[in-house]
Amino acid sequence: MSELLVLAVIAGKRCAFCASDVGSVIEAGVIAPVPRAPRHVVGITALRSQAMTVIDCRTVIAEDPSIYPCDSHLAVIEVAGHSYALQVDKIDDIATAQSGIAPVPGGSGKHWNRVCKGMLETDRGPALLIDVEQVVAGIEQKSVKAA
Amino acid sequence: MDDLLADFIEETREMLEAIGSEIVAWEANPADRARLDAIFRFVHTVKGNCGFFDFPRLEKLSHAAEDALADVRKGRREADSQLVTAVLAIVDRISDMITAIEAGQELAEGGDEALIAALEAGAETAPMVGQSPAPARPADSVTTSTAAPSSAPRSIRLPVELLDRVMSGVSDMVLARNDLAHRLKEAGNQPTVDGPFERLSSILTNVRDAITRMRMQRIETLYTAIPRLVRDLSADLGKQVMVDLEGGEVELDREMIEMMRDPLTHIIRNAIDHGFEPPAERLKNGKREIGLLSIAARQAGNKISIVISDDGRGLDEERIAAKAVSTDIITKAQRSKMSREEILDLIFAAGFSTAEEVSSVSGRGVGMDVVRDNLEKVGGEIQVSSQPGEGTRFYLQIPLTLSIIAGLTLKAGGQRFVLPQSYVEEIVRLRGDKGVIEDMGDTSLVTFREQRVHMISLADVLGVKAEVPRENANLLMLRLASGDLYALAVDQVQSSSDIVVKPLPPAIMSCGIYCGTTLLDDGQPILLLDVPNIAQEYGLMSETRALSAQVLIDGKPTVERPLDRAMLFSKLDGHKRLVRLGLVKRIETISAAAIDRSGRECRAVVDGEILPVIGIDEGASLDGSVRLLRLTDGSSEVLHAVGSVEDAVDLANELVAVDEPDPLIEAVTLIEGESIALIDSHKLFAIHGALPRQAASKTCQLPDSDWAKTILAPLVEAAGYTPAFDADADIVITLDAVESLPTAKPVIALRSAPDDQVEPSQRNSSIYRYDRERLISALRDASKGEAA
Repeated sequence: MSELLVLAVIAGKRCAFCASDVGSVIEAGVIAPVPRAPRHVVGITALRSQAMTVIDCRTVIAEDPSIYPCDSHLAVIEVAGHSYALQVDKIDDIATAQSGIAPVPGGSGKHWNRVCKGMLETDRGPALLIDVEQVVAGIEQKSVKAA
Repeated sequence: MDDLLADFIEETREMLEAIGSEIVAWEANPADRARLDAIFRFVHTVKGNCGFFDFPRLEKLSHAAEDALADVRKGRREADSQLVTAVLAIVDRISDMITAIEAGQELAEGGDEALIAALEAGAETAPMVGQSPAPARPADSVTTSTAAPSSAPRSIRLPVELLDRVMSGVSDMVLARNDLAHRLKEAGNQPTVDGPFERLSSILTNVRDAITRMRMQRIETLYTAIPRLVRDLSADLGKQVMVDLEGGEVELDREMIEMMRDPLTHIIRNAIDHGFEPPAERLKNGKREIGLLSIAARQAGNKISIVISDDGRGLDEERIAAKAVSTDIITKAQRSKMSREEILDLIFAAGFSTAEEVSSVSGRGVGMDVVRDNLEKVGGEIQVSSQPGEGTRFYLQIPLTLSIIAGLTLKAGGQRFVLPQSYVEEIVRLRGDKGVIEDMGDTSLVTFREQRVHMISLADVLGVKAEVPRENANLLMLRLASGDLYALAVDQVQSSSDIVVKPLPPAIMSCGIYCGTTLLDDGQPILLLDVPNIAQEYGLMSETRALSAQVLIDGKPTVERPLDRAMLFSKLDGHKRLVRLGLVKRIETISAAAIDRSGRECRAVVDGEILPVIGIDEGASLDGSVRLLRLTDGSSEVLHAVGSVEDAVDLANELVAVDEPDPLIEAVTLIEGESIALIDSHKLFAIHGALPRQAASKTCQLPDSDWAKTILAPLVEAAGYTPAFDADADIVITLDAVESLPTAKPVIALRSAPDDQVEPSQRNSSIYRYDRERLISALRDASKGEAA
């Protein structure tokens, strides 16, 4: 219940990551693009000498991510042994969950349903809890289709 | 037997290591049933094994321990500390004996009985302690004497994952070091930091080397299964094969060892199934009944080469070719142009398998193509060579380790990439030359070493825009392990360095053109290009390889006509001729006297070989020296006398067939505005070609005098004979001999007196020693007689 959350804004919506999922929040350095990669893959970057894949969360959710400006902070997560840095509109703050996870009444929309576990209350108001594995898995599924 | 013994020792060692901790635990708690069982199993196994090997002392010891432990297990006896001590003493003794057996020594006699007696229920512990050197802890006294010479290296067992973790940790440290180095460089000279940093750097390099070696395994681990495999297979197939394994001490990354297992097994299976003849056939062919399969591993730099050779029947060129034609790997037309090496190479083509019947041993759908693909995946290569009737050799080359490779950094579309240097055969810089790149439809071809090679632009592969125009690009000539060559055009080639390859996440792997990532010295991530995959994507892999050497021009497969070059020369009569440059081996200059014009065809001796000479018109007078073009088709040779050699020229213009009476003229072409006849290579060798005959094998015995040595010998040599001064020669020259020699060999008799000073009868039977013409013709006649 008192779980720590990292609040972020993705495609203009307030979202939350479990703090335990997020290894760190980094300032984006130079991102080397990966030609021919699926469009979710922004490129690769290095954090403390470790290469990681930068993924634009907003492409998983929104049709056109370019309408949302983003800042230079990336949330670093690890899925299946690979490090990813998630690009969001904005990393907001750390907050404590004030409720359990509850489904969003009526669902949160086609794209959102796939990547969020539900909603929960924070002192900043309700936020959608992002399932990072789904974000990456969703991207993987899409990339397989693309390939 | 030796192998079995080695296995026994190895197994016992492992068990000893494994129960080491059990013993300690049992000592602490003798009532622990699980520990007791483990130790019981150990002595039981040792007892069983040494009965087989005839080690009575070992057997007696383990038997006694087994009995005592069995009593405990059945509850007939308590496991008291005295028993524990006695069993431990026996386990130690077994360990010492094993060491002694391995070193081929006999363990010092005595003490066994005391150890066994100590097991007896109620036996006093005192005597054990009392008998000082021998039984109580025989280990102390014995190991010093026996273990010292063998000095088994102390070793520990570690889980492989732990090793991998350490390895990747060290790799990360290297990357972090590189990053730090870059930052330090940016910050400028700081003596207080630079010194320690240098030191850190060199320590890290050492540690990395050590860690890399930690992951190494002896190739022996691959070898151990081979004798059994060979034995079983050869028994199944009714063949007799002996294995010779060499270089087992060569170390290889354990991942590579696993990679090598299947290819090696496959090649061995093939050798036994197809390579070795049945014993009866071997005897008939004058070979030993037992075939020899030898496998040798060597380390050369950061590569390991493994040679697998058999002395079987060798690869059957005809059958391979026929099979390749029947499976549509090549066409008949292609086959006729292929060399033996190229044909043998077909066994690596996809979908090829020579076994006429699919046997249980080999030919199960996986062929050498899979072997090659697997090796290629890890950056290795495979080649084959074979002599009919003598055997086959496979050469495998594999990198020492997978994770650190030599990489070449390059730039395309403003971005840097790296590719494994091992693929790069050559780097070619285009300097805006027109006509180097030809567009054939959507395909670009580049001329490299007189070969049209498919060119891909890396920018196109990546879907980005090249920053350098194509005519000025840098070309990387990439040679795939399959032998296919292609050119990759990049904007810029930067540097080469050792890179630590890290895996990529699935999302990026799915692009199919990257196989890893690494960080450069400046800390920037960079992608490693997947060279074979890019080739595959463009259809440049094996399936098309037979065609790659003969590029399609105008839709018809032709030999590279525009690339033909020819030698322009003047004949002795002043007429100009062309001959294809590929035929010209070299230009010889010999003395006119060395050309034998007596027969229908002229001949000359060059480098001890008798060769036909053409281009000399009958009746033409020759003096001084003559220049000859030495032409060869690979095996036969022809000399063409020339007045002068002009130049090498391109056969750029059309070849016009002409109706010439001279059968040697293929066509006429324009060279710098002059029409010149081209010699028909095929007819040239069909009519005049001859395999070089060894002339130097004939010796000529000369009289033993200074005149013969200084004046006669060079003349004889020029005529193609090796001068000799002993009696064992092919022909004999005598000088002023009184009576004829009692020999069946041709004899040329010389005399010092000129013709006009001797009797007419002498004039014919002997030759005046300065009558050069008669002497040379006599030598030739003698040589003809010899040949007949």
